[in-house]
Amino acid sequence: MLSPMLSALRPLAFLALPLSVLAAEEVRYNRDIRPILSENCFSCHGPDDKARKAKLRLDLFAEATKEYKTGTPIVPGDLKKSEVWTRITSDDEDDVMPPPKSHLKLSAADKAKVKAWLEQGAKYEAHWAFLPPRRPALPADLKGSPIDALVDQGLRASGLKANPEADRATLLRRLSLDLTGLAPSAEELEAFLQDRSAGAYEKQVDRLLASPHFGERMALDWLDAARYADTNGFSIDGGRHLWLWRDWVIQAFNDNKPYDRFLLEQLAGDLLPNATDAQLIATGFQRNNMNTHEGGTIPAENLLNYNADRVKTLGESVLGLTLACAQCHDHKFDPISQKDYYQVFAYFNTLGDAGLDGNGGNNSGPAVSKKTVLRTDEEGKLTARIAALRQTLATRDDAVLAAWVKEQRAWLADRTKGTRLHPINLTKISTPNSGGGFTVEGNTFKGLGGAAYDLLGELPQTTEPIIALRLVFQAKMTPGGKPAPKKGAAKDAKPEPATPPAPSAYQVSAVDVTVDKVPGDQVNIHKLQKFSRVTASSFDPAHPPGNVRAMNQRLAWQPDMKAPGDQSLTLTFAKPLSATETPAITTQVYFGTGRPPLQGQLFAVTGHDDGTDLPPDIIAAVQTADDRRTPEQTNLLWAYVAKYGEALRRVRVDLANAEERLATLTQPQSTMVMNIAAKPRETFILHRGDYSQPTTKVGPGTPAALPPLPVGAPANRLGLAQWIVMKENPLTARVAVNRLWKTLFGTGLVASAADFGLQGEWPSHPELLDWLAVEFVESGWDIKRLTRTIVTSATYKRSSTATAEMLAQDPANRRLARGARFRLPAELIRDNALRASGLLVPQLGGPSVNPYSPFDLWREVSHYGSTPATAQNFVQDHGDKLYRRSLYTYWKRTAPPANMMAFDAPNREVCTVTRGNTTTPLQALVTLNDVQFAEAARVLAARTLGRPGDDEARLRWAFREVVSRDPSDRELAVARRTLARERQRYAAEPARATAALQVGEAPDAPLPAPEQAAWMQVGVLLLNLSETVTRN
Amino acid sequence: MDPRAEFTNHLTRRTFLGQTARGVGGLALGTMLMPELLGARQAGGGRVAGLPGLPHFAPKAKRVLCLFQSGGLSHVDLFDHKPMLKQMAGKDLPPSVKGTQRLTGMTSGQGSYPCTPALKDGKLCGKNGLWISDLLPHLQTVADELCFIKSLHTEAINHDPAITFMNTGNQQPGYASMGAWASYGLGTENANLPAFVAMVSQGTGKNPGQPVFSRLWGSGFLPSSHQGVGLRPGANPVLYLQNPPTVDGEQRRALLDDLAALNEERAKEIGDPETVTRVKAYEMAFRMQTSVPELTDISQESRETLAAYGPEVTRPGSYAANCLLARRLLERDVRFVQLFHRGWDQHIALSRQLPNQCRDIDQPTAALIKDLKARGMLEDTLVVFATEFGRTAFSQGGFGNPGAGRDHHGRSFTVWLAGGGVKAGYEHGATDEFGYNIAKDPAHLRDLHATILHCLGIDHERFTFKFRGLNVKLTGVEEAHVIKGVLS
Repeated sequence: MLSPMLSALRPLAFLALPLSVLAAEEVRYNRDIRPILSENCFSCHGPDDKARKAKLRLDLFAEATKEYKTGTPIVPGDLKKSEVWTRITSDDEDDVMPPPKSHLKLSAADKAKVKAWLEQGAKYEAHWAFLPPRRPALPADLKGSPIDALVDQGLRASGLKANPEADRATLLRRLSLDLTGLAPSAEELEAFLQDRSAGAYEKQVDRLLASPHFGERMALDWLDAARYADTNGFSIDGGRHLWLWRDWVIQAFNDNKPYDRFLLEQLAGDLLPNATDAQLIATGFQRNNMNTHEGGTIPAENLLNYNADRVKTLGESVLGLTLACAQCHDHKFDPISQKDYYQVFAYFNTLGDAGLDGNGGNNSGPAVSKKTVLRTDEEGKLTARIAALRQTLATRDDAVLAAWVKEQRAWLADRTKGTRLHPINLTKISTPNSGGGFTVEGNTFKGLGGAAYDLLGELPQTTEPIIALRLVFQAKMTPGGKPAPKKGAAKDAKPEPATPPAPSAYQVSAVDVTVDKVPGDQVNIHKLQKFSRVTASSFDPAHPPGNVRAMNQRLAWQPDMKAPGDQSLTLTFAKPLSATETPAITTQVYFGTGRPPLQGQLFAVTGHDDGTDLPPDIIAAVQTADDRRTPEQTNLLWAYVAKYGEALRRVRVDLANAEERLATLTQPQSTMVMNIAAKPRETFILHRGDYSQPTTKVGPGTPAALPPLPVGAPANRLGLAQWIVMKENPLTARVAVNRLWKTLFGTGLVASAADFGLQGEWPSHPELLDWLAVEFVESGWDIKRLTRTIVTSATYKRSSTATAEMLAQDPANRRLARGARFRLPAELIRDNALRASGLLVPQLGGPSVNPYSPFDLWREVSHYGSTPATAQNFVQDHGDKLYRRSLYTYWKRTAPPANMMAFDAPNREVCTVTRGNTTTPLQALVTLNDVQFAEAARVLAARTLGRPGDDEARLRWAFREVVSRDPSDRELAVARRTLARERQRYAAEPARATAALQVGEAPDAPLPAPEQAAWMQVGVLLLNLSETVTRN
Repeated sequence: MDPRAEFTNHLTRRTFLGQTARGVGGLALGTMLMPELLGARQAGGGRVAGLPGLPHFAPKAKRVLCLFQSGGLSHVDLFDHKPMLKQMAGKDLPPSVKGTQRLTGMTSGQGSYPCTPALKDGKLCGKNGLWISDLLPHLQTVADELCFIKSLHTEAINHDPAITFMNTGNQQPGYASMGAWASYGLGTENANLPAFVAMVSQGTGKNPGQPVFSRLWGSGFLPSSHQGVGLRPGANPVLYLQNPPTVDGEQRRALLDDLAALNEERAKEIGDPETVTRVKAYEMAFRMQTSVPELTDISQESRETLAAYGPEVTRPGSYAANCLLARRLLERDVRFVQLFHRGWDQHIALSRQLPNQCRDIDQPTAALIKDLKARGMLEDTLVVFATEFGRTAFSQGGFGNPGAGRDHHGRSFTVWLAGGGVKAGYEHGATDEFGYNIAKDPAHLRDLHATILHCLGIDHERFTFKFRGLNVKLTGVEEAHVIKGVLS
């Protein structure tokens, strides 16, 4: 039973429904009837002639009103004579339509609409989205924005009352988030609130439209649609480089490139006369499809899939058409034949790409090397920064040097103390991709030929703690194929008689170790041992032993091949092993891109490791007394510390990042593009969409039901692009303005933003959609102007506050009586936590980065160790790269960033036009516990403590910084309670406070730990407010 | 449906696990709109309702356990015994059998296609004599519980499309996985855990095995709240579960209370049901921080139980450990539990790799079946032991070469079911005498999907999600039929 209050509301609620119809109102085919017929009838009585039943189609007036043997389906104005009505109201299982087998059913409301429509004359309308948009009539006395006039018409009709304008703080937050993805800082907010001038809001609009972050915010939705990612996607999912295209998109939005050019260059930039590098880079759009180099796949099948994805993406992202539905048969609902489909397909099928390509981190072809189109003013600053960082490294810091020397001396003094090597009893060797040849004989593994091997062994039963694992390799063989006889001390070594060919250098690029109670043939990626130091018996200066910790197949240890005797690599465990607790040891040795040695053995080390990661001259210099060291030795030592010393690691990271950044801005980089093959493939209609069943050959062409190609359009992608952006195309502009509306309001005027076809949703405001589309085209496809038009409307600026009554009347706010409110997209949630904490590095573009990840999610699913493909194991970045905006986070399609996926980010495998918007406990875990967010809370605390004033002033500032408004007294009281409680906690336990601050790599602030830790909890509180992740 | 209720239902169902009686999800809005909903949705404990009208009929199985053998498990070596392959060993597969259908690029250029018998002998097991390889001695002991489908087939012949097809009903990416469909349709009985849990283990026969992809347990076009939640060993069994350093439950509790106070205050002021929903989600997260460690803590398992699953059960992340966790998840009424065990792609060195792969899974799989049976859970749990395709009756590489293996084979392969809704100790369908083509009762993997849904009380034709203008089904656009022969 409904409560009396709610009962009273009920009729209003119905009124507010977009599809509800009052009996007195005229029924309209497009709005009211077509959705019913399309859903229930057209799959058998629609455009697909192969699926058509009884040769009857109901989607065309002429066909539906013809006389058939069993009667006339539709007799306009005559319900009783209309067979359709008889059928849909029949009780007879054999007669009723739709047939029970289809599981489709017309509701009573549907039937009422059909009845009214038949009685009113059964007027058909051409599908609205296929007719050109028309400028709607506007009130003669129009004041203010036509948007408001058109929205308010609908409000009046449904009896809803518009909300007043939102308060100014909310407005600035809304506008900033929508246009740049970043909420205003407390200072920006203050400046706006102080500006009481008439055009204050418009000034902010202009400021934000001019921000370089505008391009980033707009790009986000386009990257979803274009399925942009950093890996190939299928199967092994190796890395690729297409970020030059991503940066082209950002720059295009920032340059306010007209949307027609934006599309034209992405679809056919390579075919433009005198195509520029930028126009070539733009064509990466249709290279964002997934591709594969999975062995054994059939190139023709792969190529079909790649191209089908291009057609699908073009349809959904640009035309709002589900073209993909016509790959196997004529479209069931829309007037798109299979032939139409393959004609569009033919435009892209001329590409000179290969069915299997893109391995080893190399871009699949066609690819070019070009400079970025990003324009920033960083170059000068970067050059200066690089010089300064180099200077820091070059400038000897005697205190740092002395500390380092002291540490090394202590280490060297212990180095050979009690070193004992205990052979590990090897029981098994395995590798995934080699049939044989390798084996274990005694404790020796031999016959290696592949990239990586797992060695299973038993730890020697020593009671001493095992401090390290040593891998000893024998590379030199006598002519008889036996290892050279053991040598004594190095000085005794003599050249072998009848020397065999010099052994080629072998390399080790990674070593992983797990120990367990029970033997395991492979290392357990969940329990990998951590190492504190890696040393070797010798090393090539370009390949020091520490390289094996980089987990990069292109970085390896290589012994000094001139060094005599066996060579060894020793890995010291962060925590020594106990042979009694964990007797089984598994070691994975990854030889990377180098070649493996011939054979080797494993040893457990007790006592101290006698290997070294220091070159001999450094050891000599370290061991020289300070007062006897020559200046050359001191310089040598400092150069080494600068290169490897822990104390300067951050400087080196910053330098490497800055150098990479400079190269990004100035050097050519590989990117994937479109071209036309020397011998383009021919296109056939494929029976059931099967690559092996070609039927009729077709050339390029556009769907027959849409306006024809412009006169003179070439029969290639350029022609297609010209057709897409010609003003007669009824879809392109509507789809574009709808996408922008969706960005600014959370839902498009057409909620089914990827489907403007017959199954798509009727627009909530058809006249408004048309007005926007016409304006857009007539303005020269001016995106910033369109954005300004929308965000300066009263409709956009309305308060989002809702009463129960309003929620009841229009729960989804489709009538727009109130301002939009929705949870922020995944990327913006992280970005704004970084922004509030001051950690955000607002750098534009460049190669994607790997910030914190809770686990090596890549290796869990990848082909690590068995492929030259990149992106098989996750290696976290450092420094600035931890704090870039989230649209630059490396997107591995088979294992996308977990903290983004929790907030409905798509995996970017296929075109996504509308993201989900869920609320889940996993999201709470991310913003509470992810290092990225915990660190942001810590640094926000330090930042807050850096503000002047008392607790209240600081709390007020933090509130403004995070949610862009002042707290209420009650909110302030709760935050004070948090602060007081946490202060008490940490004052009692200062050590706990210090430990609590050990999260993330951002430098510590020189502040008392208990105070900072207490404020960190306030930071957690604020960063987790519902309002923080919401755009109101 | 009342439009308000419909909207409320929509809001509710896109929250993780949907709503609970205590108000998670759009129920907050529901209570603002229709106080009577509160009563209507009192459905007990942590239950989360599924779609209205589901299940369509009384289900035989309440939950699904899918033991997915990733890479292409060799039916000819393990389940589909063909004496003819022994007779013809080393001789070319007759062209009439091999036919003209496509092979992968790995064997399509091979000069000969020598018949290769099963690596090891096997036995006819159980009352009805199901042949199982001696490589799977433990599984042989539970033959009476198993229902073999020996005539499964798929069009895909390469891993990516094949494994995507098996797990999402389509060879191309972008579709929802089986577990996501189950979560979407049926909700869950335990709101303190995800409705769909996925676990990945690495095979010891071939490591790394063929890659797997998060799309295999993804939600595709369904709301992301239905995606499989990964469960892993270590401090974060569910990603981000662990509090930051030094933060304990008491401290977090106090903070969440403050957070709820702020959020609720604001929600009231601005009329935001989403905020109320988010408060509830935080409460569920807090409860998960208890319920998940409790789930993964196996210290209370008896010595006998641990022994039954074999020595690897103590190795975190192993298939055996995941099998035990699977039982614990199913006990807690998680709707869909899926294990992915990698490494079944024996193109080469089958004689070395296959015994290891078998050893990984044999004892734990059998122990899990017995464990479920002993606890009375097998009768309402559907077990699906599946793979993306089988392997060829002929060898890839020279016959008898220790480096030889078998190529992918989609034309016929074996999967087995057990438990709720299916016959026990039963074989459905058959291949020809080479294990190459289907001789009797072909079953497409769409049919398998239809059958799984059927056991859950769902008519696959009526279980749809509207996406891009289509009513999309797990079983896809082509006809699919429940494999009636296997139903109990």
